[in-house]
Amino acid sequence: MARDPKYDVLFEQVQIGPKTLKNRFYQVPHCIGAGSEKPGMQAYHRGIKAEGGWAALCTEYCSIHPESDDTSRLSARIWDEGDVRNLAAMCDRLHEFGALAGIELWYGGPHAPCMETRHNPRGPSQIASDYELNIFPRYMDADDIATVHQMYVDAAVRAREAGFDIVYVYGAHAYLPFQFLSPYYNRRTDEYGGSFENRARFWREALYKVREAVGDDCAIASRFAVDHLMGPVSIEAQKDGARFVEYADDLVDLWDFTVGDIAEWGQNAGPSRFFEENHEKPYSGTIKPGNHTNKPVVGVGRVTNPDTMVAIVRSGQFDLIGAARPSISDPFLPKKIEEGRFDDIRECIGCNQCISRWEIGGPPLVCTQNATAGEEYRRGWHPEKFHPAANREKSVLVVGAGPAGMECAMVLGKRQMEAVHLVEAEREIGGCVNWISLLGHSDGRPNLHRGTARGLGEWKRIVNYRQIQLDKLRNVEIHTGSRLSAEDVRNYGAEIVIVATGCHYATDGLNAATHAPIPGADTSLDWQMTPDEVALGSKEVGRRVLVLENEGYFMGASIAQKLAGEGREVTLVTQAKEIAGYMEYTLEAPMLHRDLHRLHVDMHVYTMIERIEPGVCHAYNVWDPEHKHEFEVDSVVLCTARLSNQELYREVKADKGRLDQEGIEAVYVIGDASAPRMIVDSIFDGHRLAREIDSPHPEMPLPFIRERRLWGEASNEDYLRQLANTADVALV
Amino acid sequence: MKFVVCVKQVASLDEEFELLEGGGVDSDFVEWELNEWDTFSLEAALALRESGEGEGGEVVAVTVGEQEAEEALLACLARGADRAVRVWDESLQGADPLAVARVLAAVVERESPDLVFCGVQSSDAVTGSTGTALAGYLDMARVAVVTALSYDAPSSTLTVDRELESGLVEVVRIGLPALLTIQTGINEPRYATLRAIKQAREKPLVTYGLEDVGLDAGAVGVAAGAHTIELQTPERGAGAQLLDGSPAEVAARIVEIVQERMSG
Repeated sequence: MARDPKYDVLFEQVQIGPKTLKNRFYQVPHCIGAGSEKPGMQAYHRGIKAEGGWAALCTEYCSIHPESDDTSRLSARIWDEGDVRNLAAMCDRLHEFGALAGIELWYGGPHAPCMETRHNPRGPSQIASDYELNIFPRYMDADDIATVHQMYVDAAVRAREAGFDIVYVYGAHAYLPFQFLSPYYNRRTDEYGGSFENRARFWREALYKVREAVGDDCAIASRFAVDHLMGPVSIEAQKDGARFVEYADDLVDLWDFTVGDIAEWGQNAGPSRFFEENHEKPYSGTIKPGNHTNKPVVGVGRVTNPDTMVAIVRSGQFDLIGAARPSISDPFLPKKIEEGRFDDIRECIGCNQCISRWEIGGPPLVCTQNATAGEEYRRGWHPEKFHPAANREKSVLVVGAGPAGMECAMVLGKRQMEAVHLVEAEREIGGCVNWISLLGHSDGRPNLHRGTARGLGEWKRIVNYRQIQLDKLRNVEIHTGSRLSAEDVRNYGAEIVIVATGCHYATDGLNAATHAPIPGADTSLDWQMTPDEVALGSKEVGRRVLVLENEGYFMGASIAQKLAGEGREVTLVTQAKEIAGYMEYTLEAPMLHRDLHRLHVDMHVYTMIERIEPGVCHAYNVWDPEHKHEFEVDSVVLCTARLSNQELYREVKADKGRLDQEGIEAVYVIGDASAPRMIVDSIFDGHRLAREIDSPHPEMPLPFIRERRLWGEASNEDYLRQLANTADVALV
Repeated sequence: MKFVVCVKQVASLDEEFELLEGGGVDSDFVEWELNEWDTFSLEAALALRESGEGEGGEVVAVTVGEQEAEEALLACLARGADRAVRVWDESLQGADPLAVARVLAAVVERESPDLVFCGVQSSDAVTGSTGTALAGYLDMARVAVVTALSYDAPSSTLTVDRELESGLVEVVRIGLPALLTIQTGINEPRYATLRAIKQAREKPLVTYGLEDVGLDAGAVGVAAGAHTIELQTPERGAGAQLLDGSPAEVAARIVEIVQERMSG
């Protein structure tokens, strides 16, 4: 279908210095776990998006020198010729599709702990990082400043050699240039501290020198948090934020605006449970309309709605639609808008699973909506292309239409399996997403910082996207409200059976802390319950509630938020060092804690329940089990273990004779039915099986390409010369 | 007992479609499927056969249509119909409900069932007249827009609910043979398993020409009353205002408009 003229504005060219963007879709720098050391992943992940129509794709933050080393988190690096060679693969791939390649030159200061290089970062003032534990920078004197400026220049020259079109001086997220600009970090009294001009000097000089070096050939960009969200102690959009943009406007070809810092960068990469689409508009969105710049501006805000994009451009908020998460969720977002295929857009749900893996320290990124993210090179998966299965004449029954089952049936359908039946016991497809997406709310009042607990409603996009895709597939039939027994499955007439029946919460308090049930725990009682019973309102909850949270992700905390928001007195107990530990990685934790605190949720960490009696939970401190505590409660919610609904799988598989007799060639189990896991991993599991349904042993994942150094093949020549006088080990 | 279920393969339009000159829709934008109402009438027949009262009965699915319409019959066979009959003649191209009912009547007479089930209407043509016309040709008692039914074997009577305006329900008792037109929602239509879909191809499906059921093209032509001249899309009305922007912006604009109108 031809493009709706309403969206023409999104496909206009934009000039940035010496380079031309073919449209307004711009993938801002974001981490993927590739860096310079997985060049295949780097080139193919960005390359898929170039194929999908993005005008420019940037690396993640890219270290300019070994003394800016973020290990264990994974950045790109452009330290030497080897990095040039590896990153050139990305540039070449993007250029094949007519897209521009951007590189985000990064010096972290005290936020870079240098755990691999064991260098010492330099910083404007000797104050320990508010992000890292116990990392102090070396105070930069005039020589240090010149040295670091030269690092930027050398890195920029290498970037040009690699083929990059856009070179950033990265100052957002409170990295070095911002540390000079912000009085929160900069306590200097020389010409680089104090007045605005002095604080801005380091950044301006860095931009000037990089521009002098490569500005004729490359567009010069700068990423800037226009508001630190800390009030007067740091940068505010309407004060030094706007002022800095004016002050450095002549030195950039493109501004990339954000908010906040790295210590709480969930204010920038806002999770959907607290932030709506285009949530940075009140800050980064005011600079261009306020006439503080004459240069093109890109900004973000998890924008997936084409109408919002048009409004952003038409209102002058931004010139370019910046995206990190929406581009991961749908690498073909621009193409789908161009072709009018709106119902094919796979919208980001704002769960921040992608970010979580970087936060954990280096695994490849993942995406709940797009199981192919990060798999483009190592598994050869394409988000939009599915080759027909070699065994497509086999009929397939998928039992259970939760995340794993929906994804599996959809991909089998796209692989042109001739007959796929997806049979669901409930009335609607979606499985656990249907009740999980009801959570995440509290009382609707503003959070203590900004935003509101707006809930997990956007997670329902997991179901919506798949429902729409499945409905289009004529070779896939969905049947709901039909609970199949093992005998039903045997008689179904499928040659391949895939069991995706999900999991359930333990009813007896079985948990990962003690590996045993909790005496007295029994959710068949009307005053004890599992999280799904709370979400669906199937049990009356008393005034005083204890929520036991042994999972470490969102469930216990979300139940506490809901119940406290409804006015109950909530006690939240975990054996772990923190409530909902994984939400630190998804950047949801700070906002969650503000909400729980505001709602007066009484939290106890390192605490476990040893016995439950009517009206009272007996607790102990995990480091000192003799240290007891009693909680008087009316209701108890047990977010303890989850257990696979595996009976159907076991029963069907048990009778081999019957399987042969009924012509069932294979029985597989996927998702939570195999082992409980996060939704992102269930979807991956379903996708993986469908992608490999015609492999020799579909139950065993095929190997993937490991980008590792092969002993005996790689050369150390680059290094041996430099290490000649210091190496005591005979290196070859 | 014997049941005849009259079904139709209907055209389902894509969201976007193009009209051909001189009537009709470009077939690229059409998918064919068993009429939704007929899935309920088939289920009613199958359920009655399986109930204690109607056990051992035979369910025969009948359609008037081209070769492609066999897909609809196969769907009925897969769900549990025992055999199927398709009638076609080139002269039936573009046939109106009266003509179709005339052909169905000839088949039903030969089958002489106890009960004839039709859907209230088809989702593509929406005339709602084929079932009633068929009862007319058969001179058979009929009840239209049935929302519930139960069969009493000793008296050989059906008790039937009919949907009226304003939520009223009319309860009717009727003797056999009879014809019912079935409303959606009366039951939960079953689906066919993969095995049943495969096995459906083994079940008897016969194709008749008009002469096979004792009709000639002329007789059908006499029955036909109406012909489609053209398909049109309605002209776009004036006065609608389309709002662009994010959901929040659109909502804010709606509030403004409502306030403007209320104060004006």
